Amino acid sequence: MTTPMVGVIEKVKTWARVNSPWVIHFNSGSCNGCDIEILATLTPRYDVERFGIKLQGSPRHADVLICTGPVTLQARDRLVRVYEQMPEPKFVVAVGSCGISSGVFQGCYNVVGNIGDVIPVNVYVPGCPPRPEAIIYGVVQLLKSLQN
Amino acid sequence: MNLSLSPLVELLFFPGGLVLLASGLVYEFVDRKLVARFQNRIGPRWFQPLADVIKLLAKEEVIPAGVVKGLFIFLPIVALTSILTAALYVPMFGLKPAFSFPGDLVVTVYLLSLMTLCIGLAGANTEDRFSLVGATRALTQMFSYEAPFLLALLGPAIALGTWNIGQINSAAGNNLWFIIAQPFGFIAAVIGLMGKLELPPFDAPEAETEIVAGALTEYSGRGLALFRIGRDVELVIGLTLIASFYLGGLANPLDFLWKTLILLLVTAALQSLFARLRIDQTVGLWWRIGSIMVLLQLLAVVVGRLIAPLIPFLSSGG
Ligand code: SF4
Repeated sequence: MTTPMVGVIEKVKTWARVNSPWVIHFNSGSCNGCDIEILATLTPRYDVERFGIKLQGSPRHADVLICTGPVTLQARDRLVRVYEQMPEPKFVVAVGSCGISSGVFQGCYNVVGNIGDVIPVNVYVPGCPPRPEAIIYGVVQLLKSLQN
Repeated sequence: MNLSLSPLVELLFFPGGLVLLASGLVYEFVDRKLVARFQNRIGPRWFQPLADVIKLLAKEEVIPAGVVKGLFIFLPIVALTSILTAALYVPMFGLKPAFSFPGDLVVTVYLLSLMTLCIGLAGANTEDRFSLVGATRALTQMFSYEAPFLLALLGPAIALGTWNIGQINSAAGNNLWFIIAQPFGFIAAVIGLMGKLELPPFDAPEAETEIVAGALTEYSGRGLALFRIGRDVELVIGLTLIASFYLGGLANPLDFLWKTLILLLVTAALQSLFARLRIDQTVGLWWRIGSIMVLLQLLAVVVGRLIAPLIPFLSSGG
């Protein structure tokens, strides 16, 4: 194939990827505060289907892994497995202060560390817990970075 | 309506092939948008289904451990092919069916079921427990709606005395609309179509709150994309079939458009009105209420046909 053809195909692929991010939500030990905010983000009030964002149940169908909380000893293997089950290309958004630095759980006997210690993270959304607007903003930042 | 295109063009572009796929995506968009509006949301953008499909096609396809590889790869292809084949016997877009023979109604209905069968096999093929539960549910549901759905389509066929879809389509336009003559059959057909497509409230086979994504849990990328397109096209074909049987036939593309869109409005409303039924409730609903309703309807049609020659006044209703 000629190079301009490849360029066009790549553009189409990126366009599709940016316009249809399907997310899966994983809680690796958070206090549930962030999860409630994520669920609020998915309600009709914020209507993320406008941007093509859809919550998927299966990691095989998802493009974006939204994680919350610090990583506990128990959840560590599961988090890695869910991440590895996702097909390429895949992205990770860590939501909440705990995902950034283990937050209030830092130093606990059962906490391995933050999400970035276990799997590569593309976008961090700070807040304890972040508002739905902040979560949407975080996903938008991720999509913007894909476009460039 | 009597345009004659070369068979190859007919197969690849219009009314088969590309245009069919595109119409499937458009109908999926209309369906999602309507449901969103019913839920007081703004809903997806017009290109959303297209973006979803292209993204899935461009994604990696993971072949999980423990599956029969050939089956895993071929099932989505078989599913989509059977649906596209079914379209050839149906008056798509209000045009004449591309092919037809006496009795093609039965073939079409079974080609449409092949999709569910493939989904069931796909689920049973993987080792994942969620897929297995999803597959069991999909097949159980198939056994419950299939008979009433077929009987509902047979109502007009028996009343008109032909099992050829094209002939039924043109004859339905000259008669009293079958939605008035056989209302129970119409209800069973619409709800049967929703069951076939696993739309809410019949989405127990893919209930994401219980069994992840049902039979297709392990599918990613290409396989999932093909199954999705197949389901979209099945939606268009199902709507066309019901519209041509019960809503007075499809004489031209305009007829096709407004009749199928009204049907889609009805199914979208039902989707947003009802919550998911448990699988035993679905089966019970079909066998206790659905099939008895349709059987009584059929009985009435047969009796009507027997006594119609005796009473000249009744002969047009069927
Ligand atoms: S960031 Fe705050 S709300 Fe979120 S999991 Fe940590 S403690 Fe809970």
